[in-house]
Amino acid sequence: MSRQLTAIRHLDTDTIRALIDDAGKLKESVVSGKEIRSGKARSIGLLFFENSTRTRVSFEQAASHLGYRVVNFSGSGSSLSKGESLKDTILTLKNEGLEGLVMRHKASGSAALGASYFGGPFVSAGDGQHEHPTQALGDALTIKERLGKVEGLKIAIVGDVLHSRVARSNAWLLSKLGNEVRFVGPRSLIPAYTAKLPGEVHYDLRSGIAGADVVMCLRLQRERMEDGRLSSTGEFSRNYQINRVSMRAAHPDAIIMHPGPINRGIELDDLAADAPNSAILDQVANGVFVRMAALKWVFEGEKA
Amino acid sequence: MRTLFSKGRILDPSQEMDVVGSVLVEDGQIINVGGDIEAVDVDEVYDCTGLWIAPGLVDLHTHLREPGEERRETIKTGTQAAAAGGFTTICCMPNTSPPLDTPSLIDFILDRAASPEAGGIFVAPVGALTQGQLGERVADLGSLKKAGIVAVSDEGGPVQDSVVMMRAMETCLQLDLPILVHCEDLSLSRSGSMNDGATAAMLGLKGMPRSAEEIMIMRNCVLALNTGCRIHILRLSTWGAVEMVRQFKFLGAPVTCEVCPQYFTLTEDAVGEFNPNFKTTPPLRTQVDIDLLTQALNDGTVDCIASDHSPYAPFEVDVPFEEAPFGMAGLESAVGVTLTELTQTGILSPLETIRKLSTAPAEILRLEAGTLRPGGTPVAQITLIDSNVEWTYDVNRTFSKGKNSPFHGKELRGKAVLTYCGNEVYRDPHFHNDRYARQ
Repeated sequence: MSRQLTAIRHLDTDTIRALIDDAGKLKESVVSGKEIRSGKARSIGLLFFENSTRTRVSFEQAASHLGYRVVNFSGSGSSLSKGESLKDTILTLKNEGLEGLVMRHKASGSAALGASYFGGPFVSAGDGQHEHPTQALGDALTIKERLGKVEGLKIAIVGDVLHSRVARSNAWLLSKLGNEVRFVGPRSLIPAYTAKLPGEVHYDLRSGIAGADVVMCLRLQRERMEDGRLSSTGEFSRNYQINRVSMRAAHPDAIIMHPGPINRGIELDDLAADAPNSAILDQVANGVFVRMAALKWVFEGEKA
Repeated sequence: MRTLFSKGRILDPSQEMDVVGSVLVEDGQIINVGGDIEAVDVDEVYDCTGLWIAPGLVDLHTHLREPGEERRETIKTGTQAAAAGGFTTICCMPNTSPPLDTPSLIDFILDRAASPEAGGIFVAPVGALTQGQLGERVADLGSLKKAGIVAVSDEGGPVQDSVVMMRAMETCLQLDLPILVHCEDLSLSRSGSMNDGATAAMLGLKGMPRSAEEIMIMRNCVLALNTGCRIHILRLSTWGAVEMVRQFKFLGAPVTCEVCPQYFTLTEDAVGEFNPNFKTTPPLRTQVDIDLLTQALNDGTVDCIASDHSPYAPFEVDVPFEEAPFGMAGLESAVGVTLTELTQTGILSPLETIRKLSTAPAEILRLEAGTLRPGGTPVAQITLIDSNVEWTYDVNRTFSKGKNSPFHGKELRGKAVLTYCGNEVYRDPHFHNDRYARQ
């Protein structure tokens, strides 16, 4: 059986730790210019049904450090616009000889489905509002570097939790590693039923980030105004923006994180985004190394 | 030609009859029923020892998909599936392509259903409530009625505009046509794909709140109460819906309702890891809902059980959950699931089980069905049920083209083993051939 990384929810703690550790080692090698022994050169497909620049570039960089060849394939201008099904698209790529597949798709649950069609090494680059596993792995590496550990911490995930795959993946990962996870945001953006999500809910920003070691902002999308969940961005930022004032409730050494792209002045102000305790650019950098680790991991499964 | 269904347990709710006895059929018509009937000059005998002899089952809610969606089902395969499921009368829903909004389409359905290729059972068409099922203008219901519809429905395209629904009810009251209402406030359920609950939140799926169903049930019941038009609420799924129907029945509104097997057996948890076979509307809810729905079946608030047979082509379901269509194939599992979950558990007595599956649905639409009384039906409609046979539901062995079932692989106890509709239309392998003899 090939290994497939579709959701943090399905990973055990040992695997999560191993992936983070390996990403750390790969980072050292890349930074020090050491040769990376990743075995055979592989060809992988990057299949993006949803627009993404950051994640796609991150996977391309990861693949290039590993010496893998990358084939890009995007939803628009492809067979998809000709009505081909997800299944046939993936079976085609598989039979064109791609050895591994990275996929992003707008439908929740499409990662596991795509992986089952592909039947080989597979890494999800995000499926709908379900999960974004490599983002969470990169965030965990960042926390570990900044705070020296990823356990026993208080983590506040702030903003549009309802629609966020980043929130879900991070909540699973961080709770599995023994951290306290809090979901913070207005009622209209927090799931009404959270019994199956690993975190406690705070509708008040102050209580939500009180004593937090990590404050993780989420991107606020314009659609949230269009669907009537918020009257304005101003309404949100008055109550939930992470800035110097609101951060006073957090632990004095707390770090600020954001999966990007940032809406400056909405969920985060300039001061917080650019502050020394902002880890946002580390997250971006580490994204490459965890994606290397993830790609290596799924291919290692093939040998076993 | 005389046929005797001999020494079975006769369950006929239309006569409150639960006795061991026989049914005598002559030239396709029931001529005598009872514990002690004289049967001479019999040509063929079905030995029904240990079996239930029930009036042919009636399904108010089937999608035959023809015309236009033959990849999913045809009148031929759908009626064969119905016969295999124990049904002798089924009502087919109007959300085909094009929708059943003109008399010629009703003629087409009736012709196809009567063809020798079809399953040999009765198909009672349900007309489209609005033109093109667009929910805007009421269709020409008078001419549809003349063509042979037994009811009208907004199934598959629930009418959102209250004025349209009120006008439709006034028209239907005039024509004495009941409306089968699909109760869903689309503004609340739009782009949702499962129950709004903890599982949806975990899976990152947009939820369909129970309020979307309950608000429309409330509206439709209020309009029915005020206009006097008979309505039948399709597939209840929430405890709140049950309480509303109970209340409106108490107020005297001409309201009946149904549940479908998936709603009294499965919860939102069954969606598991995005399994599209568990996607339906209204969505699978929670255990509290199941508890109230089964209680309401027992106390009579829920009048009947329907299959909501909604077959799809396999490729249509082999897609991400959010993109999959709503609905489940159900004709061939309905009896097995009902007996296993409601009858064997004591929630419904055998007689009440048959009432929910035959007599009650027939009475709701005043169909000539659901009874063993001589002369009560155009031809004898009889279903033999083995309430003890243990079997496994397997979609690869169904007549229906729709393999999208949540019950695939489920072990069931109880099955319709022989279906008779003027003549034998289905004999199951579980009905041993020794039971049949020509004299």
